Amino acid sequence: MQEFIQQVVSGLASGGIFASLALALVLIYNAMGLVNFAQGEMAMFATFIAYTLISHGLNYFIAFPLTLGLAFVGGVLIERVVIRPVERAPVLTLVIVTLGLATLVNGAAGFFFGYTPNYFSSPFSTHTVNILGAFASYQDLSVIAVSAVVLLAIFLLLQRTTIGLTLRAAAHHPEASRLLGIRVSWMLALGWGLASAVGAVSGIMVAPILLLEPNMMQTIIIYAFAAAVLGGIDSPLGAVVGGLIVGVTVNLVGAYVVGGDLELAVALAIIVGVLVLKPNGLFGRAAVRNV
Amino acid sequence: MSALLELEDVHCGYGQTSVLHGVTLSVPEGGIVSLLGANGAGKTTTLRAITGGVRWLGEIRFAGRSLRRMPTEDIVSLGISHVPEGRGILTELTVDENLKLGAHKRKDGAAVHKDYDRVFEYFPVLRERRRLSASTLSGGEQQMLAVARAMLMKPRLMLLDEPSLGLAPLVVRSIFEIIRTINQTDHVAVLLVEQNARLAFELSSDAYVLEVGRVAVSGKSADLQGQESVRRSYLGY
Repeated sequence: MQEFIQQVVSGLASGGIFASLALALVLIYNAMGLVNFAQGEMAMFATFIAYTLISHGLNYFIAFPLTLGLAFVGGVLIERVVIRPVERAPVLTLVIVTLGLATLVNGAAGFFFGYTPNYFSSPFSTHTVNILGAFASYQDLSVIAVSAVVLLAIFLLLQRTTIGLTLRAAAHHPEASRLLGIRVSWMLALGWGLASAVGAVSGIMVAPILLLEPNMMQTIIIYAFAAAVLGGIDSPLGAVVGGLIVGVTVNLVGAYVVGGDLELAVALAIIVGVLVLKPNGLFGRAAVRNV
Repeated sequence: MSALLELEDVHCGYGQTSVLHGVTLSVPEGGIVSLLGANGAGKTTTLRAITGGVRWLGEIRFAGRSLRRMPTEDIVSLGISHVPEGRGILTELTVDENLKLGAHKRKDGAAVHKDYDRVFEYFPVLRERRRLSASTLSGGEQQMLAVARAMLMKPRLMLLDEPSLGLAPLVVRSIFEIIRTINQTDHVAVLLVEQNARLAFELSSDAYVLEVGRVAVSGKSADLQGQESVRRSYLGY
């Protein structure tokens, strides 16, 4: 039982990481009906920026928000420079563009930072604390806490502020939103900025667990896809719930059933299973298409 | 009265299909003008041209200022609120959020508050349904929400695209009454597109009848209403 609880807690920690990246995917999917295949690579690049800042002596707790700010600006710039010219193109074009972007960001990270894995130290120790008889590491607990704060902040931004309201309006009804004076095109850029910052959180959280190198996020993005699909690709709440479910499931199945090597296969099974059995996920809206 | 909105020889179309072949019309400051005509005559397209939804040739001026190449968001900020065909309700959002978006660019907080009170006085049903998703409203309630939201934008000109479409006669009557009230109390000019010519003539001072992308007849609403030939040839009653 004790081990089971420990597996759940560490599953929740990975779940928080998946949830952040899944939320980034959902933000962009909502804004333009597009799965951003470069999301993981953008998060990895942001993590390298955090790593560089910290290795130049900056305090972790200053480098972290600073990186999120830089990631936000980077996301806005990418949208303005790379996405804007193809904004109205068919979705397949956009998918190819984001795949190209993923390769480009990956290559740029290798060029600037090298392919040697770096140890990214976390300010939170891996010592464990005893909670009700189960042991959880401070690192896991901090990942859960940081993810919760970030997800809550995004929720409040979207649901409780005017800018969040205009973001949601622009995402669902671009034409009607323009008539209300909303700058829809800038809302897309803002969405990319937010997604980039939220994704960066997942990169910075996962880096101390894995090693930081340009391909760090390539498995994490699969888990994030599983989380987003499970939650319903257009639902921010779904991304969070999906992330936690995927994190815990993968951890438990990995520990008790298939072994650690097949954890990624569990994520893929979730993706396929959801798409076959319940394509809209847990919280997604049914897709209605006018023909 | 000086013209608030002027269209001069406006041509436009979608792709290869040309829809407007030189429309000229004007809406005076504080006036109500109706734009009539059969399906496909170009009424909706005229409104879309004004708010930059389609590219056009010719000239469109609002308060003396050319709207050429201006993006929709900027045109709207000049003081034009456009209730489009299909009402433009954001059905993913609540009634309250829809109303908030109407006023989201205004800086005059106290006046916004007063306008909210007036909106709820005109349309009490919207107050009752504030927290509900806009998708749960009936057609008439959605039209009320659209007009209320347009009013909260504090425009100088409202463009209304068939506010009567699909609504019960009693509902239509009350919405038209409120449009008249808004016009009189706030001095908002109205350009009204309607299929229901009888109602439009009653509400407006001037009218234009479009036929295949051109103004076929125009004049005082009262005069046009009296001419049987106009009614027979263009308006079908």
